[in-house]
Amino acid sequence: MRDAKSLLLLLVSLLLVLVSFVLIWTWGYRFYNKDDAYNVNAKILITDSNAIVNRIRDSLQKVYNETLHSLDTRLDSTLVNTDSVKAKLDVKLNEFFKLSNEITAILKNRSNSADFNTAKRKIGELQSKADDLREKSRVVENENKKLGGILDQLNTPQKDPDRNIKQVNFEEKPTPEKSNAEYVLFTASELKLAAMKGADEKETETTQADATEKLVGSFTVLNNNMQLNNAEMIIVVLQPDGRVLKTSAWESGTFNTPEGKRIYSYKLNFNYLKGEAKRLLFSISTDKYQKGNYTMQIFYNGTMIGKMVKSLS
Amino acid sequence: MKSYMKRLILLTHVFLINIFLVSGQTSYVQKYANSSVFAGIEVGSKGVKMSLVEMDKNAQQNGAFNIMKDTSVNTDFISFTQPSYQATLAALNKFYDVAITDYKIPSDHIFTAISSGVNIQAEKENKINWIDQLISAFRFNFNEPERKVSIVSVRDEARLSHLGIIPDARRYNTFLIDIGSGNTKGGYFPNDNTKDFRLFQLSWGTKSVSNAVEKRLEADITMDNFNRQLTRVLTTAENTEIAYAINESGSYPMSDNVAFSGGIAWALATIMFPELIENSVVPVTYEEVLNFSEKLLKHHNNLSDYYILKTITDKTLDKEMIGKEVKRVNQVFDQKSLMAGTGLLLKIMRQFESVYERKKFYLVKNGAVGWISAYVNQNSTK
Repeated sequence: MRDAKSLLLLLVSLLLVLVSFVLIWTWGYRFYNKDDAYNVNAKILITDSNAIVNRIRDSLQKVYNETLHSLDTRLDSTLVNTDSVKAKLDVKLNEFFKLSNEITAILKNRSNSADFNTAKRKIGELQSKADDLREKSRVVENENKKLGGILDQLNTPQKDPDRNIKQVNFEEKPTPEKSNAEYVLFTASELKLAAMKGADEKETETTQADATEKLVGSFTVLNNNMQLNNAEMIIVVLQPDGRVLKTSAWESGTFNTPEGKRIYSYKLNFNYLKGEAKRLLFSISTDKYQKGNYTMQIFYNGTMIGKMVKSLS
Repeated sequence: MKSYMKRLILLTHVFLINIFLVSGQTSYVQKYANSSVFAGIEVGSKGVKMSLVEMDKNAQQNGAFNIMKDTSVNTDFISFTQPSYQATLAALNKFYDVAITDYKIPSDHIFTAISSGVNIQAEKENKINWIDQLISAFRFNFNEPERKVSIVSVRDEARLSHLGIIPDARRYNTFLIDIGSGNTKGGYFPNDNTKDFRLFQLSWGTKSVSNAVEKRLEADITMDNFNRQLTRVLTTAENTEIAYAINESGSYPMSDNVAFSGGIAWALATIMFPELIENSVVPVTYEEVLNFSEKLLKHHNNLSDYYILKTITDKTLDKEMIGKEVKRVNQVFDQKSLMAGTGLLLKIMRQFESVYERKKFYLVKNGAVGWISAYVNQNSTK
């Protein structure tokens, strides 16, 4: 009986040892295989990172291509109809293509270290430049339409002889900015910028910067083509140090020119009757006046139509 | 343990406020030859603000008083907790001390006030005694029991903002609208005198619009969906409140100019017109804001200081100052807040657009110091 008990215990022990061996072997096997699986996963991760890089590159490439494509369609028609502003557009286009080359170079770089942030930023710039070009193209198209209308009007024979004389005068009238003559409807003449001292009735002109209390400007505008309900003249007065003279923040602002945004000193709005020689006046004052040359520039529709210099000693 | 933590938080607040104030103390430069310097200390919803204002004898004629220093500390007084109360009191005491000791401003040239936002919130939460306690503690600290600490009403604040921001020449033809984070307020003077003020209020502000949009987003958190929901929120706001409030204000026939102040006005003025960084006010058109709102949605990346500086060609401009300010705008307003604020601004501007008559719009940058400056001016001339 006792032997039978011992035998049973021995058998159970053997069974436990065997089970332990099986378990240890299974753990060992699984542990070995897990390492392998980890390695495989790691490899997949590396492959994935490549895929991500490619995906980023592809998506950037797509945005880039869309930007170029959206620009191409509009710009083609503009370039065909553009002569006088071609030089300016060329400059903008050069900037655009330079930037697009830089982006292409970054996107062509197949290595993982390609700087996608730079590419993304540059594509942002490219999109903005494309918008800019599109806007310019729209302006050019509108101007061409306007010009076409004016030319049609001029080419139609008029019954009224006085009107014909006026048209001849307009055609022969020299304008200060010849390159943009087609887009300028107004001419400015009799430009005057005076430094004033004293107040009200005792106000007199001076050439001394220290004595100056305000600058008073005036000029005459003429437009033989159109009657305008709300014409707008922009005045820029540059101080000797090149900074724009401003009376107060409420009077100054920015305006667009073909060369970019500029700050103005004063804006004059007025009603205009066709053919009227209209005298416009403005005054600007500041705390202190520098010695040197003050430049007054008159702009209409972003184009300079008059300029003069006044010296204060 | 709990009380130890409270003390630690309080000490940290006081320590930080002191460091901030000490580091902020620099000498100031006066602009006008014949002027006096005043200090205005305001306890606002977000924190305590001190403005050093130089008053020229002609300040009210040309609207060009000189804000020499504008310092603020965020203490979040309207949360009405012990740490925020202690931090507010510490900031108030410190500003007063700095004005007297460091800037040598006589006590009668220092004005202290509690803003309407604090008062409204305190009334809502039945915490008026917190304001009274703050004022008493401040008076006690400097042994000035008679010191005047005014609690300014919404109407007074809007009226003072008009007086502080708008120059005299435009006083009776300008409608001032302050777009805040939680609401919009403003008004104008309808009867050619500065006593009668027509108050204008909207329950919408930059943050409240943004919050209403966020609630509608559900799982789709893309910018396109934000923009779609924003349009819906603003259309509802326009139809139910904005159009009605502006019509009711009667400002349309009375105003040639509409000036916008508040955080969003500052942000837009800074980003849209970086060339005018030195201007406290910039003129703007409805079309310009509309174009900007499209740019916000499609090319927000191009509004970084890096890109904006690249577009500036004028060499006479202070690029460092522009870069800093643009960066600050981008830190305060993310794309969504900018879109929400710009959308609200457009909806208000739209009410003033007409085929027959167009109003001139302006964005005011220094609106935050507007009312306290006027408060100083009003009290200094008494």
